[in-house]
Amino acid sequence: MSFDATYTRELPLVDGKSSFKELDDVIAKPTETKPTLKWWIAIGISSTALLIGATCLGLTFWYGVGLWGNNQPVGWAFDIINFVFWIGIGHAGTLISAILFLFRQKWRTGIARFAEAMTIFAVMTAGIFPLIHTGRPWLDGYLLPYPNQHNLWVNFTSPLLWDVFAVSTYFTVSFVFWYIGLIPDFAILRDRTKSGIKKAAYTIFSLGWRGSNRHWQHYERVYLILAGLSTPLVLSVHTIVSFDFAVSVIPGWHTTIFPPYFVAGAIFSGFGMVSTVLIIVRKVFDMEHIITVNTLEKMNKILLATGTMVGYAYSMEFFIAWYSGNPIEQFTFINRAFGPYAWAYWIMFSCNVFFPQLFWFKKIRRNIPITFVLVLLVNVGMWFERYVIIVTSLTRDYLPSSWGMYFPTMYDFGILLGSFGLFFTLTLLFAKTLPVVSISEIKAVTEGAQPTHLDRKEEEQIDYRTVF
Amino acid sequence: MCAEEKAMDRTEDMKKDITKDTDGALKSGNTASEQNENGYWRSFKELYNDPSFSKAVKNEFSPEALKAPDVSKMTALNRRRFLALMGAGAAVAAAGCNNYQDKGVIVPYNQKPEEVTLGLPNYYASTCSGCESACGILVKTREGRPIKIDGNPDHPVNKGKLCAKGQAGIMNMYNPERFRDPMLSKTQINWADADKKVVDALKAATAAGKEIAIVTHKIVSPTAKKLFDEFKLAYPTTKVYSYEVFSDTARKNAWMKSYGKPSMPVLQLDKAKVIVALESDFLSTEHNMLEYTRLFTQNRDVMSGREFNRLYAVEGAATVTGMNADYRIRLRTDAIEEFVMCLVVEFAAKKKLSGFPANLSSNTLDHFRTKYALNETAVKNLVADLDKYQGEAIVYAGDKLPESTHIAVNLLNDILGNTKLYSQEIESVDQMPLSAPEELGSLVSAMNSGNAAVVIHYDTNPVYNLSPEYGYADALRKVPLTVTLTEQVTETSELSQYVLPIHNQLECWGDFKTRTGFYSMQQPIIAPLYNTRQKEAIILNWKEPKEFNENLYKDYLSANWEKSMYPATGTAASFKKFWNSALHDGVVYVNEKPEGTAATFNAEAMASTGKVRASNDYVVLLQSNNNVGDGRFASNGWLQELPNPITKLVWDNYAALSVQSAAELGVNTNDIIDISIGNRRQSFPVFIQPGLADKVIEISLGYCRTAAGIVGTGIGVNANVLIAKSPALSDRIYNDAKVSKGSGTYELISTQEHYPIDSDPLLKDIQFRRGIIREGTVEEFKKNPGFLKHESHLEMDPINKPQPYATTEYTGYKWGMSIDLNKCTGCGACVTACNVENNIPIVGKDGVKANREMMWLRIDRYYYGTPDAPSANFQPMLCQHCDYAPCENVCPVAATTHSTDGLNGMTYNRCVGTRYCSNNCPYKVRRFNYFDWRDRFRDSFQYEEPLDQMANPEVTVRSRGVMEKCTFCLQRIMKERQDAIAENRNVEGSNVTTACQDACPAYAIEFGNVNDKGSTVTKYREHPLGYSVLEEIKVMPNVTYIAKLRNINEELHKKESH
Repeated sequence: MSFDATYTRELPLVDGKSSFKELDDVIAKPTETKPTLKWWIAIGISSTALLIGATCLGLTFWYGVGLWGNNQPVGWAFDIINFVFWIGIGHAGTLISAILFLFRQKWRTGIARFAEAMTIFAVMTAGIFPLIHTGRPWLDGYLLPYPNQHNLWVNFTSPLLWDVFAVSTYFTVSFVFWYIGLIPDFAILRDRTKSGIKKAAYTIFSLGWRGSNRHWQHYERVYLILAGLSTPLVLSVHTIVSFDFAVSVIPGWHTTIFPPYFVAGAIFSGFGMVSTVLIIVRKVFDMEHIITVNTLEKMNKILLATGTMVGYAYSMEFFIAWYSGNPIEQFTFINRAFGPYAWAYWIMFSCNVFFPQLFWFKKIRRNIPITFVLVLLVNVGMWFERYVIIVTSLTRDYLPSSWGMYFPTMYDFGILLGSFGLFFTLTLLFAKTLPVVSISEIKAVTEGAQPTHLDRKEEEQIDYRTVF
Repeated sequence: MCAEEKAMDRTEDMKKDITKDTDGALKSGNTASEQNENGYWRSFKELYNDPSFSKAVKNEFSPEALKAPDVSKMTALNRRRFLALMGAGAAVAAAGCNNYQDKGVIVPYNQKPEEVTLGLPNYYASTCSGCESACGILVKTREGRPIKIDGNPDHPVNKGKLCAKGQAGIMNMYNPERFRDPMLSKTQINWADADKKVVDALKAATAAGKEIAIVTHKIVSPTAKKLFDEFKLAYPTTKVYSYEVFSDTARKNAWMKSYGKPSMPVLQLDKAKVIVALESDFLSTEHNMLEYTRLFTQNRDVMSGREFNRLYAVEGAATVTGMNADYRIRLRTDAIEEFVMCLVVEFAAKKKLSGFPANLSSNTLDHFRTKYALNETAVKNLVADLDKYQGEAIVYAGDKLPESTHIAVNLLNDILGNTKLYSQEIESVDQMPLSAPEELGSLVSAMNSGNAAVVIHYDTNPVYNLSPEYGYADALRKVPLTVTLTEQVTETSELSQYVLPIHNQLECWGDFKTRTGFYSMQQPIIAPLYNTRQKEAIILNWKEPKEFNENLYKDYLSANWEKSMYPATGTAASFKKFWNSALHDGVVYVNEKPEGTAATFNAEAMASTGKVRASNDYVVLLQSNNNVGDGRFASNGWLQELPNPITKLVWDNYAALSVQSAAELGVNTNDIIDISIGNRRQSFPVFIQPGLADKVIEISLGYCRTAAGIVGTGIGVNANVLIAKSPALSDRIYNDAKVSKGSGTYELISTQEHYPIDSDPLLKDIQFRRGIIREGTVEEFKKNPGFLKHESHLEMDPINKPQPYATTEYTGYKWGMSIDLNKCTGCGACVTACNVENNIPIVGKDGVKANREMMWLRIDRYYYGTPDAPSANFQPMLCQHCDYAPCENVCPVAATTHSTDGLNGMTYNRCVGTRYCSNNCPYKVRRFNYFDWRDRFRDSFQYEEPLDQMANPEVTVRSRGVMEKCTFCLQRIMKERQDAIAENRNVEGSNVTTACQDACPAYAIEFGNVNDKGSTVTKYREHPLGYSVLEEIKVMPNVTYIAKLRNINEELHKKESH
């Protein structure tokens, strides 16, 4: 066994040695070919779901939010659960594209574009809920601090207002970041396409990109700055979302652990969703060599880490409830685990804490079908986490006289379905119109793209596996 | 005019101006060189030093410039004209885009009516004819519309208070489904025809010697009594039948048998140190609850320094009275008589009285106690107290107990000398005794045999109310002429040929007499809304037919008063003056004394008592309720939605069972049981009620009206079908019921989640552990008044210290409320008062099911103790107007904010409905309009004419998607502020009363300025028993409560569990 102590090489990020042309072809293929039957079926399902949600929403606007199951004392239910759930989903994208970029984690390259797109769609989906959950959605403009002759100002002490700023900032920065990253790819597509309309569109969106040294220099600088801007957002947005609860006086909400707990949960759920979608995408678009098992394994490690953090938060809540000596707080947590909503609690706990522990095993980390099942469970578990926090805390708060159970209606389920419909419809449209992997970046990390002192032939002969 | 021409015009104008200027200057005859030393000039006028110009220079802004432009004189497109037109256009456009909340037009009075000032309410005294109590009412009107009914403070019985039914009665007047015209077989006719047909029939019946039957409720009006007597003279075959589903006939008959007097003296409950209520709910559903609540709670006042009275309740049902009792003894209803006899024997033996059954082993109290496993402490205390407080205690039997039990109770009171508590001064007065069941039976046979030619239902509903054993409905079909005088559709009107619409009580004249010493007057508050007539006037008109006019009965009434009552009052004033002041006051006092006050117990009566023995079967108790009465309030949504004080159930009746009995039958809440009593059977949904005696079933009467309009029809189950024509015990107690589990389930809906009180250690006594309810005993309080302060459950700092963070200093007045839990009985009058005052919508059963009831004020009920022997705490819960209101800092649009006088305000216009405030409210008192409830409830029932006229104009009608909650009756506070400004004085806290405070018959609610150290509310706040709910979260509520004291000798049960 030979041992080369000079340096270790990382595992290849792109399997095989595709040429640049091959990479261009594979990634640009979905945008250049007619949609397949599979795609039509997929968008058929997702747009049907979207339509169902839109119908339920329309009826809600017409008759009032009374169509939902919300009540006294459960003023928030599916509406805010869905909001927090989708905002959480978005976090993986920013983490992958910004934080991992700053940490020079090259393995992010294969998944960054997709994750960023998912961030944007998830934030769009999430952003709908605060707007529609109000009793009079036509007055949502009151949430914006615009100058007016009445001197009526928004209430800056309200976390819900902070949400407005946090989410809109998050969306704006994420969108710009995503778009900047797309510019070189737009140029590639522009250069490849033969259709006049597409050419015109890509020309406009590529902002005259010619790939000159100077362009790249500016591009890298802007990308770095935006990554720097996005990074605090990963932490801040869900922190602020968690303030919706932490700032209140309701036992089960009023908890100082919420900001880190929510951020960990958001990254956890985001990675769950990214994995879910990527596992399908790499199969459908034949990108298994670009979005590799190695990448998925790395994501599973993050899932394991964040899942365990979430589990720690769950346990710490109980500890603090006991340690605080506050009987009302203690009751809330005992009620959570053993009260009428124990089923929701244990769904949450098993999906988020127990099952991800399987990722300790390398075989499971690298097993795609099992990973797929586990990440689906993570999605379910994280939705239920918000259900548990919001609903069980509200159903039994301070005065037992006003306790009341919550029962969702078909409109609640319809709008939840619609949110998935919107998310996947946007995702599918994205997959069909834009490169789902950053063409320019993947070229930089493909084998043979790195500068080397060896000539190409020599390099081809190296069997990297023997290096270790 | 084209642009060019305009331009030319303008040039012409300018030219003229210049010429004018020059002319003026020239005319003045000055020269430039003379006048303008500085050498600069702005115009010829200045140059020639025209005085008008120098004046203009001084007054820079000429009056002309400040004048509004005259649009008509302007040229086509002048700037001002443009702006004026734009402004007008925008105004027109804005008017076209009508705000969706505004409907209708407000037109000022062309000629202002005397006494009515727009925006100011007027109050009129009258009398409530909702039940036979005939309480005095004070009706608030705005611009002629009655909008709220309160008690008349001058009335000696109800003293300004009114029960829930009376308060909600305002909705009956505005009920859109009232009959508006006379009907014959459901087709509209005119009054003249109806009168003629009926009078002809009356004459024919008289000629043929056939019976004319008038079926009425209890006659409480002396003038109506006179009218009936005269009617009988005009039509000699007339018979008047009167019935009440809920009456105290048994008590009065027993009194008659015991003391030989038909009229009963009034009970002075305030003088009782010990009260033993036997199956009696005198604090809530029985008649005279307003007075009894007041008298009872007078001696439960920690501020008065008086000794607390002690209440024992011996009952099979679980009533408000029982739950307020210091000692509650659970005993099946049909064993109560035996219990009383045991007490009689016990005390007769103690006092060595002769003529009583010997004190055998089988009739001792001990034997009885063991037999029924009664609470030993309670019984021992009861005997000791009755012994100790002879002459200062009262044993009070419930309305529904059989006559023989009432006799036994009279006997017991007589032995103990408790008859002293009956007033020597005042006794109840009956205008006309109620018809005995035999009389009603003979009416039905007359109807069946064809002997009754005309049956007139005088605002009654016998088809629904009477026992089905009478066969009244079938008999009614055989009567040649049936007439029903009614406001709204009833089961009886459906079977009648003539349905004649009558006035609501607020459109009526009348006089009422229930006791010696005073009359209560009724006057119309509003002109009749429809083509209706007062029921007395209809009878009067038939008595001697002539041209009808609206004043017919008024004249008759005042004539009767001038002739009969006025001379008796001995007033010096003229009758007109007397009459006006009588109507103004609503009450007329007369100097009269009961005849023959001394009475001795009639020994013979003893023979008829003590025979009732408990059976082994189920006992069915047919209860009265706070909601629909005997069914007459069924179409009143506010009442249907008013939670039962104990069960908190709404929109239904049900068979309440004890935990044990439900287990025996194998049923749970919402299961169906079949009850059969003799041939009468009915199925009911089960509700498991802690505290019921085993094998006792409690069912409310008055439900499942089949013809009560869109609100009332088909609500609940009809329990009237269980009433027997000639019951063995009493018409409301049956101890021979067979019960079996039925099939199916039925969902009962309550406003409060019910949870097991004992089984779950997490929930047991949670109200004490969380500092929601604080409770102790009178003994503890005497020993150490501050005992509850010191045992703060979380051992945190006492209330309001230290302040969590700096906030507004409330230097002026600051509003606060205090609620005395010792006085609050949980009756629900305050809730209804709040509903009426604040335009609270009705949400319906499905709305309550979805936990979306809208009541701003609710009464929380907490049990403690065991499921068999629970006690209940009642706690009115409303917005606490916290100093650090958690709702306020989470509202993103600042729609809920704090005022400088300490109010937590809601700005409906600004509210977008995030519901965050409600989530963050620890008291969960905020209410959200999930729908436009007025539109949602029963096909927009609440938007229908004229129900929309009922709204209090001072309180915004909230739209969909808006949060709302108690405002501390902000409109009343603003009224005081206006008055203070107008009178140039400071705002006086004591001048403001909230609607709930006005309504509370127990005077449990105090409201006022907490910065005024002398105010009552401050005294309550600073009382050693004063506390605020959940004080450890430091939201600094401005509603404080006075902790509950139980007047018991032992430690409270909860102490053991601590």
